[in-house]
Amino acid sequence: MKLKDFQDRFQRAIIAGDDAILKDIPDGPHETKANLLGIYRDAYVLRLIDVIAADHERLHAYLGDDNFRAMARAYIARHPSRHPNARWFAQRLPEFLREQEPYSTQPVLSDLATLERALNDAFDGADAPVVSMTDLAALPPEIWGGISFVRHPTAISFAVSTNVGAIWMALKAGKEPPAARVSKTPARILVWRHETTPMFREMSAEETMMCEEVGKGARFADLCTMLAVYDDPGSAPARAASFLREWLDAGLLTRS
Amino acid sequence: MSNRKKSSASAKSAPRANREAAGRGERPPYLGFGLGLRPPHYRDILDGNPNVDWFEVISENYMVAGGQPLAMLDRIIERYPVVMHGVSLSIASTAPFDEDYVDGLNKLAKRTQPKWISDHLCWTGVHGVNLHDLLPIPYTREALDHVVSRVDYVQERLGRQLCLENVSTYVQFGQSEMMEWEFIAELTRRTGCWLLFDVNNVYVSAFNHGYDARAFLNGIPADRVVQFHLAGHSDMENYIVDTHDHPVREEVWDLYVAALERFGPVSTIIERDDDIPPLADMVAELDYARVIAERVLGPRRAGAGAASKPTTG
Repeated sequence: MKLKDFQDRFQRAIIAGDDAILKDIPDGPHETKANLLGIYRDAYVLRLIDVIAADHERLHAYLGDDNFRAMARAYIARHPSRHPNARWFAQRLPEFLREQEPYSTQPVLSDLATLERALNDAFDGADAPVVSMTDLAALPPEIWGGISFVRHPTAISFAVSTNVGAIWMALKAGKEPPAARVSKTPARILVWRHETTPMFREMSAEETMMCEEVGKGARFADLCTMLAVYDDPGSAPARAASFLREWLDAGLLTRS
Repeated sequence: MSNRKKSSASAKSAPRANREAAGRGERPPYLGFGLGLRPPHYRDILDGNPNVDWFEVISENYMVAGGQPLAMLDRIIERYPVVMHGVSLSIASTAPFDEDYVDGLNKLAKRTQPKWISDHLCWTGVHGVNLHDLLPIPYTREALDHVVSRVDYVQERLGRQLCLENVSTYVQFGQSEMMEWEFIAELTRRTGCWLLFDVNNVYVSAFNHGYDARAFLNGIPADRVVQFHLAGHSDMENYIVDTHDHPVREEVWDLYVAALERFGPVSTIIERDDDIPPLADMVAELDYARVIAERVLGPRRAGAGAASKPTTG
């Protein structure tokens, strides 16, 4: 048998439970060939369950060990790894949970996985020099209106349909999480990395809009104008300054 | 992602002179006694000054865009020599090489300036799938020709000799035409690749397949071995699994003595991947390896790594 056919057969033995390869394996001196092949079969699934568990600690805690392992087995069967780095094996978990019954009937599961994926991606996402309040203070006031920023490359925001933030926080603290609720209006969560720590928080509709504009490279003066249209025009510059301050303190902005 | 998608390994395209140059470099330096770098130990390594001569880093853990992993790695390489150790090269696979992965290795090597780059003599999947395991091959002449052409190709792509490790295996194949050590000896003879001799893996495979670990040891060309791995395993009575979740076992220390007698001073690390104890425990285990090496080789030969002891800043 050619090496190519051999590898095809061995892989099918592990992924699909096909026993054809057993013809080519002698019994070991102390153990049957079926049990020896079983070491590879078991290790394959257990290793990938561990990979998912390492990336989704809160989802694991929320589901409990048995349910989590059953879910992970279903995911492994559905999405064999196609990346040389196991770091990206669980990337499709949020979509899997959103689409696959019975998990799809509990939207909080997909929301939790989405949040954890975003935090993982922020953890080892690209670096960029962060702008501080001190950097800004050093600039002459007359050029402030023309300054534009870029969001830190790790910053992303996404909609969730549940109280996933509160559930995540409770799980992290090792407490009983609140009951999952589906909200009428989807909330928006912002995830980014501050120094080396991934962070998240919910954003108001106004901040979401502002944040998106910053992502497009809007200038500070334009942001004030937009806020004036969005709500009370009188307080717009102060609100813009307050968002700016918050983002600078959080390490969310880099210069364009 | 680069647009250099997966293309097949075409060693034919490399001019012969280049291939031979890539496969015939100087022997890398002796580094002494090191550890596999693991995230739970970052702080203690950087805050303390543990008695560790060098670190082996898992390449894939640092093939990411940025953040804490690369920030920590940058601080480690300021102080210690490092070696890159990968798990996904899949050198024995019949699937096309993942060229993005090889590009990623080169990019990381530029950052870390590793003393050498290693991976395993195994395959990890075909048909675009990665099983994230170190899978066995039949030791046939056909497989040998195939692996030789892949090693030639990778050495040319990396611009240096690759270092390959023997893996723990649980099954053997009826088609095999030679023993594992004969396969390895021939592979290094034909490609000039270096060898990472995993003492624990030899012990595990020898038990599982019922051969003499000393026969394996004596079949390996001594001048090609540039690194040892030591690790713990799990004894399941009828077979042994390479789990890296225990201290090194007594029988493996015995085989380490035999390896030192045959190969002389070889850069050594202890690997631990599960139930990872505090750094101090790992350093104490490493000290045990030093004591054994000094006993077998004498203090002068075993201590040659002192020249590369960490310097700060």
